[in-house]
Amino acid sequence: MPAPTPNRRDFFSNTRDGVFGVALASLLSQDLLGEEPRQQQARRTYDNRPKKPHHAPAATSIIHLFMNGGPSQMDLFDPKPQLDRFNGKPFPGSPEEIGNFGSAGVGVVMGSQYKFQQHGQSGMWMADVLPETASMADELCMIRSMWTDHPNHDNALYKIHSGRLFMGYPTLGSWVAYGLGSENLDMPAYVVLTDPLGWPKNGARNWTAGFLPPVYQGTVFRPTGAPVLNLKPQYQQSDAINQSARELLRQLDQHHVSSRPHQAELGARIESYELAARMQLTASDTLDLNNESQATLDLYGVGKNPTDSFARRCLLARRLVERGVRYVQVFLEEQPWDSHVDLKDNHRSVCQRTDRPVAALLKDLKRMGLLDNTLVIWGGEFGRTPTAQKTGTRFTGRDHNMQAFTSWMAGGGTKGGLTYGETDPFGHKVVEKPVSVHDFHATILHLLGLHHHNLFFPRSGLNERLTGVNEPHVVQEIIA
Amino acid sequence: MHRYSHSAARLFFPPTLMFRSHFGAGCRLWHTAIIALGVAAGCLGRTGADEPSAAEPPNALLFESSASGTSVQSILANRCGKCHSETVRKGALNLAKMEGIRTGGETGEDLIADTLDDSYLWTVIDNGEMPPDDQPPLTDPEIEQIKNWIQVGGQSSNQNQTTKVTLDHHDVTPILLLRCNTCHGPQRTDGGLDLRSRESMLTGGDSGPAMVVGQADSSLMIKRIESQQCPPSESLLKFFVRRPSETEIKTLRQWIDSGAKLSTQETDRQGITPDLLVTDQDRQHWAFQPIQPPTHATSIDSLIADKLIDAGLKRSPAAGRDTLIRRAYLDLTGLPPSWQEYQRWHHHQADDWDAQMIDHLLDSPRYGERWGRYWLDLAGYADSEGGISADPLRPLAWKYRDYVIDAFNRDLPYDRFLIEQLAGDELIDVDQADKVTAEMVNNLVATGFLRMSIDETGSRTMNFVPERLKVIDDALAIVSKGLMGLTMECARCHTHKYDPLPQRDYYRLKAVFQGALDEHDWRTFKNRKLSLATKSQRERIKQINPPLEKQLRSLRNKDKQLNQQLTLQLLRDHYPEQSERDHQETLAALRVADNNRSLKQKRLFERLVTAQLMPPDKQSAAITAIETQIEETITAIETLERQLVPSTQIRALWDQGRPSPTYMLLRGEHDKPGAPVSPGVPAVLTDGETPFDARAPFPEGTPKSGRRLAFAKWLVTPQHPLTARVMVNRIWSHHFGTGLVPTIDNFGVQGSPPTHPELLDFLADSFVKSGWSVKAMHRLIMTSKTYQQSSAISKQTAERDPQNLLYSRMNLRRMDAEALRDSLLQLANRLDVTTGGLPDPVSIDRDGQVTAKPNAAGRWRRSIYLQYRRTEIPSMMDTFDYPAMGPNCLTRNVSTVSPQALLLMNNARVRELTDHFAQRILESNNVHGPIEPLIRRTYALALSRQPDQTELQLGKQAIEAFIADSDGDLPKAWQAYCHTLINSAAFLFVD
Repeated sequence: MPAPTPNRRDFFSNTRDGVFGVALASLLSQDLLGEEPRQQQARRTYDNRPKKPHHAPAATSIIHLFMNGGPSQMDLFDPKPQLDRFNGKPFPGSPEEIGNFGSAGVGVVMGSQYKFQQHGQSGMWMADVLPETASMADELCMIRSMWTDHPNHDNALYKIHSGRLFMGYPTLGSWVAYGLGSENLDMPAYVVLTDPLGWPKNGARNWTAGFLPPVYQGTVFRPTGAPVLNLKPQYQQSDAINQSARELLRQLDQHHVSSRPHQAELGARIESYELAARMQLTASDTLDLNNESQATLDLYGVGKNPTDSFARRCLLARRLVERGVRYVQVFLEEQPWDSHVDLKDNHRSVCQRTDRPVAALLKDLKRMGLLDNTLVIWGGEFGRTPTAQKTGTRFTGRDHNMQAFTSWMAGGGTKGGLTYGETDPFGHKVVEKPVSVHDFHATILHLLGLHHHNLFFPRSGLNERLTGVNEPHVVQEIIA
Repeated sequence: MHRYSHSAARLFFPPTLMFRSHFGAGCRLWHTAIIALGVAAGCLGRTGADEPSAAEPPNALLFESSASGTSVQSILANRCGKCHSETVRKGALNLAKMEGIRTGGETGEDLIADTLDDSYLWTVIDNGEMPPDDQPPLTDPEIEQIKNWIQVGGQSSNQNQTTKVTLDHHDVTPILLLRCNTCHGPQRTDGGLDLRSRESMLTGGDSGPAMVVGQADSSLMIKRIESQQCPPSESLLKFFVRRPSETEIKTLRQWIDSGAKLSTQETDRQGITPDLLVTDQDRQHWAFQPIQPPTHATSIDSLIADKLIDAGLKRSPAAGRDTLIRRAYLDLTGLPPSWQEYQRWHHHQADDWDAQMIDHLLDSPRYGERWGRYWLDLAGYADSEGGISADPLRPLAWKYRDYVIDAFNRDLPYDRFLIEQLAGDELIDVDQADKVTAEMVNNLVATGFLRMSIDETGSRTMNFVPERLKVIDDALAIVSKGLMGLTMECARCHTHKYDPLPQRDYYRLKAVFQGALDEHDWRTFKNRKLSLATKSQRERIKQINPPLEKQLRSLRNKDKQLNQQLTLQLLRDHYPEQSERDHQETLAALRVADNNRSLKQKRLFERLVTAQLMPPDKQSAAITAIETQIEETITAIETLERQLVPSTQIRALWDQGRPSPTYMLLRGEHDKPGAPVSPGVPAVLTDGETPFDARAPFPEGTPKSGRRLAFAKWLVTPQHPLTARVMVNRIWSHHFGTGLVPTIDNFGVQGSPPTHPELLDFLADSFVKSGWSVKAMHRLIMTSKTYQQSSAISKQTAERDPQNLLYSRMNLRRMDAEALRDSLLQLANRLDVTTGGLPDPVSIDRDGQVTAKPNAAGRWRRSIYLQYRRTEIPSMMDTFDYPAMGPNCLTRNVSTVSPQALLLMNNARVRELTDHFAQRILESNNVHGPIEPLIRRTYALALSRQPDQTELQLGKQAIEAFIADSDGDLPKAWQAYCHTLINSAAFLFVD
């Protein structure tokens, strides 16, 4: 076999995954900031440095407000007069089509639980439990024709986050981090903000990197205490010793590296310790809301019940994208939208917690000129059924509905004030302009300047993609 | 215009149908010489009466002829014939003749259709998919001609080929399997009815025959299905079935009406059915060729040297003795040497000290714990089922873990190791045996290998056929990638894009496992366990367990009560104004699933969580006291559980002796059955003539198909081109950090070819000749100069061998998660080397941090014995690249990221361990004497070497600075020093 021709990329191509050492980075910076080679090698380096998109992006970052549990489309965004007229009557179609757990529990049709009104110049419909969001109607791009493939939370969550019904696949956020890297190397590219009350259903699998290198998985910023695990020493040691210890480590490593020239992974390691040190400073600062004005805090509803918790996360999300974090995902605990019982009360309660902070986030982003290139997404994993579900002896909730749900987007190159797609008169199935989860993902990638086909990861002879094998459809009509 | 088959798939598929694809449209498109023209739309497109064809188009637009002189037939023969000819039918597609075009390929797509858009032939040409990139493209006039031809209907002058299709039992069997088999098949015969054969349908059940041949209308099964009495509404979810679709019912009707015919076609049989899909040319790929050990060289070093010389390089100098000691210890046992062992090898006088050291390490029980772990990665080992968010535990998986560790420690020959794991149940007829032997238990535990994949079918709602197929697919992927280096799972939906693996071969492999992994005869979680134990084990259980179990019951009760007490105390402390009734209702709310709570219950629950989340300094003494009691109780429970003699149950897989027929699935969809296939191995690994010979292993005893045993025996034939190569490559890669075939999991066309083909074959041949001894392979590799060379990179090797593809040096390597954690435990003197048994418990805090719990003595066992629940991977393991098993992991990622630095620098547990390490150092010597001996001891323990002058100097300075910083607190100073050394690159990276 002839000796391989050495070049700079080869030289470093067996660098272990991760960030480069400073010295190596300067050697390589030309390559790294240049066009990413799409024909990837079996082993390459994986890092968070910014990558060139495939085409000019409309959005450079994303805030994904994830509404775990499945908000009800016909109660919030998709008014159905027909449904109201059938209130209390049997569903006119086959109950087997409605029930996810056999037809026994399918009850009678349940009309919308709240009053609807049109809002803004666009005349967008929204229920009266979302007064603040409604005030931003002309910024929203409402997609009423979403549908998914599974009526169970677990699988539908895998689907909406990773495009697959099963566990173990990379999520949208990690694909974006892999494709675009981060604008701020002191921070992770993909940050997850969880609810102090608990993690969402499916836990960390909602932000897993799957088979992508772990550097692309979502980093949870904790809602209280130190934002990142192990960010601060969990033992007592004086500052003086800390400082001497850091100096010793630096010298030992320098000595170690200098006696082992050309070992790229050792450089990567030094860099990882340096980033860790920088994160210790910047992460805490980013999470410190004390620098925000009282007016801003009030706008979001920080410090007030019941908005405080979600307001803090929305405000943090803005602070993160402001600092160049690529993808921020905000979660609620467990699955508050999952209203099998007492939907009217339960949905109202979640609206009261989230409505004001969500609207404030849009206003704030707009005020700061960030909304144009920040894509805000609001939505859950599926919708709810037009019929009431029986629990015990009562019919007060709705079951899961994979055949139709509503999500909205705002900013980031989407058309404000647009209502897209249509469901049948009961809000049960999509009848016009269906948007599959793959279409949804392809459209989001498109807005970020990525082409779903060109964003792939080679694995066992197969180029794995977020949007799977079949060609998805970028929903051009919602793009401004 | 004609429609040759269904095209529903290309219409907009409404969301209803996507999940309902469980109902879906079933139709079979594989008939060879059976094509009808002019058939009504719908799925049964190939059946029904002939219709006269539309008006003859002018000759110019017929398949065989053209005004220009070049026919579509000749264009296709020229441009596509290399892969899609009469003799080479890639994707089962023959474009040489009109019948072939009408039949289509294995995807079931219509090549020609009503509209251009619906024509699959046009789609692949138009989007540039075909001809593939490496083949000459079609010219524009050629494309135009094909387009015109399709547009006018894709007609042929040869209309006589069309034959009327008659349905046979292969058209209905898949429907019956999918829709009726659960209640009228192997597991149940409700109403006395078995629908598995034509005969049994005619025999019928309690209500009479299920069908009247020739009269669908009078057939009971049709009546029952159409009136939706069957499947009964209430059974749909209970038995995980969906109703047959209308097209399926139509097929059943037509089959009955047309005489309920049995197929007259030859059944598929490997080696007998003409094999047109894989050619001898396909077999030329290096990995499918027999192993050819080199004749001119007989050592690793000479075969490595050949290439180095070609590149103008030579092997790097030998690594120093200390480097070798550390390398070998971490490599073979995942632990650094103890002080005594380090001294022993450091001062050893014998010339062959290295071989002696390697033997010593291979004899250590720590060896199996290290190398068994690699195999567990390959198998996708986990202590939970995964899939659903509850992620239920697999309480018996550890028995397989212990089997693997033991197999490596015993140096169980690799061929036997594979046979036991693939077909342990077909080796001895356990059911007929007079007494249970340890060997029988062992064989069945080994089959746990095939039960390692993610399995959500234990769920209340996710045990339908598609979910079962996913479990089977994972098991097949583990087998084919892990053992053969073939990415066969790619062929589940269509013929492999690159490798000569037709879709048929995937389903033949699936048929091999059908006797045990049968989606139509599924074993529920409860029914996967066998109770099997030797007499002595049973006696010990009887003797030892009952009093312990009694204690356990009372402790579990106590735990429950304490938890209630804790909840009430929290509420009383933090919400003194809340009524006692509300306190009680909070307890009630905890028993209700979160999504079924009323708003009031939700509010109460939130208040409770808020109280729970208050920091410790805001909690009363009463709370702390109860929490301590709970912790003590749990520890007592966990300790007792480990004193029990383990259960006699085994989580196993066994042949049920009644495999359902296996059908190919078009596009991998469970309700689009294609041709029936019989068991077989990838055709490219056969001569195309030898049948796959599965025989019942116990002809007089328990019925078993013997398919997996036949497969396993085929896999371990010494001539098998992949088995030995794949394994020696794996062993090599764990020693060197890269494989001779760099793509460990892919020996196919898309994989990287071996950097040293002769060496690979030399090793594979030696492996087989040694009796498949893995330990002999370690000795061979580790005593080579190639393994023992230095990892330093010179300017010359950096330039000429930048990726170290030539092995001009050893690779520097980062410790993996297990080696790192276990080394830390050993340095801290906190390692408990007890082997086997129940996995060690972990605790999870509110931030999701997962930590291993220490045992009563404040120690921990090796990392392989931790509990690996998929959703609760211990954080330290996770941070250092412990893989998500999806379904398994053949090469771990090695990342170097800041959370690792944060963990080693700041984590309390890590610090606790390094503090213990410091204590050991201080106890070993006169602490008030000179510093240097202590530094030397620290280096010897942590790094198995002496510090160099700079390191010594840095150490002395630092200790003095630490002492000054801490006002003379010696322990503090050494704690800081040891913690820093553990954080240094020298510790984490192995030279």
